[in-house]
Amino acid sequence: MITFMIKKLQTVFSSIRLTIFLFLSLAATSVLGTVIQQGLPMERYKAFYSPGVFSALKFFNVFDMYHSWWFTTLLVLLAVNIIVCTFKQIPRLVRLISPAKKEIDDTVFRSSQIRKTFQSQQKLSDLERQSELLIKSLVGVPVKTVRNGATYFSAEQGRYSRLGMIFVHISILLILIGGLLGILLGFNGQMNIVEGEKSGTVTLFGGTGPKELGFDVRCDNFTVEFYETGMPKEYKTDLTILENEKEVASGVMKVNHPFLYKGLKFCQATYGIAGGSGFLIGVRNGKTGEETVLRPNLMKKVPLPDGSAFFAIARFVNDLEGMGPAVLGVLLEPGEKHDIFWVFQNGRNSNQQQRGGFTFTLKDFNRLYYTGIQVSKDPGVFLVWIGFCLIIVGFILNLFFSHKRIWVRIAGEQGPYECSIAASASKNRKPFEEKLEQLFREITLE
Amino acid sequence: MNDTLLISIVTFIYFFAAFVFLVSIIFHKRSVGKWALTLVAAGVALQTSAIILRWIHSYQLGIGHAPLSNFYESLVFFSWSIIFVYLIMRKRYRNDLFGVLSSFFAFLILAYVSLSGDVNCTIQPLIPALQSNWLISHVISSFLAYACFAIAFGTSILYLLKIKVKVTMLPDALFLDEVTYKMISIGFVLLTLGFMTGAAWADRAWGRYWGWDPKETWSLITWLIYGAFLHAHLARGWRGVKMSLVAIIGFIAVIFTYLGVNYVLAGLHSYL
Repeated sequence: MITFMIKKLQTVFSSIRLTIFLFLSLAATSVLGTVIQQGLPMERYKAFYSPGVFSALKFFNVFDMYHSWWFTTLLVLLAVNIIVCTFKQIPRLVRLISPAKKEIDDTVFRSSQIRKTFQSQQKLSDLERQSELLIKSLVGVPVKTVRNGATYFSAEQGRYSRLGMIFVHISILLILIGGLLGILLGFNGQMNIVEGEKSGTVTLFGGTGPKELGFDVRCDNFTVEFYETGMPKEYKTDLTILENEKEVASGVMKVNHPFLYKGLKFCQATYGIAGGSGFLIGVRNGKTGEETVLRPNLMKKVPLPDGSAFFAIARFVNDLEGMGPAVLGVLLEPGEKHDIFWVFQNGRNSNQQQRGGFTFTLKDFNRLYYTGIQVSKDPGVFLVWIGFCLIIVGFILNLFFSHKRIWVRIAGEQGPYECSIAASASKNRKPFEEKLEQLFREITLE
Repeated sequence: MNDTLLISIVTFIYFFAAFVFLVSIIFHKRSVGKWALTLVAAGVALQTSAIILRWIHSYQLGIGHAPLSNFYESLVFFSWSIIFVYLIMRKRYRNDLFGVLSSFFAFLILAYVSLSGDVNCTIQPLIPALQSNWLISHVISSFLAYACFAIAFGTSILYLLKIKVKVTMLPDALFLDEVTYKMISIGFVLLTLGFMTGAAWADRAWGRYWGWDPKETWSLITWLIYGAFLHAHLARGWRGVKMSLVAIIGFIAVIFTYLGVNYVLAGLHSYL
C-alpha cells in the first residue's frame, strides 16, 4: 500500500503536466498581487472592501499574497517537481554522457533518428576511406573497430551539451532555495537618519515592526546634487558604524553603490528635509527701498533695521502647499497685536509679505537633511547568484552545442558490401541531416 | 542633424519596406524582395545612427547616458531590436513574410511614437537610480527578448490564418510552427538574462534582487507563460493551434509588462 502511494506520488511529481499546471497557476495568481496593492496597513483595506470580502481576502492572505501559505505551497510543489524530474533524468543522462562503448550496438542502425542502408560494389578500402572522410567532415575523427567480419566506424561530439537542461533546472532549484533562505533568515527594512544623528533601529517592510541592529549607524553628512531642471542628480551619505559608542567602520553610500557591514547591505534609497537652520531673511524698507538681511534663529527675536519692531521665526516648513520652503514669521510691534505670516523664498510667491512698511523674503537657509537607508540582510543571495551563473552555462550548452553521433557499418565477406549509416543530433536535426545527405552525395559520387 | 527627425524618416522607410516585401510575396518576385531587404538595411543603419547621435548629443548637453532610459528611447530601441532579430533570423529562416512582419511591427512602434503625442522625445537627465552599469545590459536583453516574442506572435497569427482561414499563399504550417518555437526559446533565454541583470541591479540599488514590484511580477508572469509553452512543446509534444494561442497570450503579457504596468499599475519602473 505504502509503496503504491509512493509510486503514485512519484508519477504525479515527475509529470510535466504538473509543471505546466504550476507555471500557469503561479502566473495566474501572481496577477492578483499586482492588481491588489500589497503590504498596505490593514485599515486601508478595511476601508476599501466590504467586511465579507475583507475577511475572505485576509483569510487567503491576499494583502501579502507572495508570502502566503498557498503561494509558498505552489513554489514548494514546483521545487519537488523539479527534484523528482531531475532524479528521473539522471540514469538516461549518465548513459548519454558516459563514453561510448567500444562495441557498437547493432540496434543503432535500426533505431537512430537518421538511417541509411545501401549496397556497394566498390572495394572495401575505398568504402573505408569514404566512411572516414564522411564522419570526419560531419562529426569528428572516427574510431574503427572490426567485429564478426564487419567494419565499424563511429564518432561522437558535444556529449556534454546534454547537461544543459539539468543545469538550468538545478539552478532554478538553487534560486528557489536561495529565496527561501532569504525569507527565513533575512530581513529588509528602512531607516531614516537626520544628519549628525544616529540610529540602531530598522522599520521592517511588511509591517512586522522595528528591528534592533545591535549597533548604531550615524549619518555624518548628506549631500545632494541637482540638475538644472531641479531633478536630483546624485545623492550620498557618509556613514559611520558605532559598536558600543565606538567608531568601528565608516564609508560612503550612494545610489547604486551600497555600503556593507557585517553582512548587511545599506542602500541609499531616499532622502528628505528634516528641518532648516541659519535663516537669512531679507527685509526691504518700503519707503527707502533699502534692503537689510536679518539672521534670526528659530524662536529668537531680532530688531528690524529701524528699530520700530522685532521679527522672529516660529516655524520652518520644507514645502508649504507646493509653494516651496517657508518660515512662519512673527512681527512684534510695541503696543500692537502680534502679526503672524508666512515668508517664502524669492520668486516662489508673487505677493511677498508686506508688513509694517517692510517686505519680507526668505533669502537662504541651510537645509538639514535626513537620509533614507534601505537595510537588508539576505544569507540566500549567494545561492541565487550561483543559480544565475549556472543557468547561463546551461543555456549556452543547450543553445550552442549539439550532441552529434554517427555510426557506419560495412558488412559482407567480399563485395557487394552492405553499408549502413546511422546518425543522430540532439538539436537542429534538419540541417544536420541535410549536411549528411550533401556530404554523402559528394563523397560517393566523387 | 536631429535624431528625432532621422527616426521619422526611418518610420517611413520601414513602412515602405513592409509594403515592398508584401509586393514581392504577392507577385513571387525574389528580386523585389532584395529591394525590400535593402530598404530594411538602410532603415536600420539610419536608426542606429540616430541612436548614436542621440547618445553623443546627451553628452554635449552634459547629461550623457545611453539612449535607453525613457519611454521614447525604449520604443525606438524596441523597434530597432525587432529589425535586428529579423536580420539574424533570416540567416536560417529565409522568407519575405517575416520581413513584412518585422518591418511592419517596427513601423507601428515608431508611428505610435510620433502620433500618440504623449511620448516625450527630449533628452532627459538620468535619475540616480538609473545611473548604473546594469542599465545597458538589462535593457538590451529585455528588449531583444520582447522582439523575439513579437516575431513569434506574428508567426503564430500567420499559423492560425493558414490553418483556420486557409490562406494558401502563406508558407507551410509546420514551418511557421517551428519558427514560433525557435523565436520563443531564444526569447525565453534573453528574458532570463534580463531577469538576471535586473536582479543584480536591484540588489545594488535597493538591497534586494526581487521585490514583487508590479513590473517584476508581470515579467515573471510572462516568463512563466513562455516557460509553460516550452515544457508543453518539448515534453508533451504540443504543437499547432494550442501553441499559437499560448504564444499570443504570452505576447499580450509582454505588452502588459511593458506598457500596462506603467499606465495601469504603480511601481518602481514607472519612469519607463
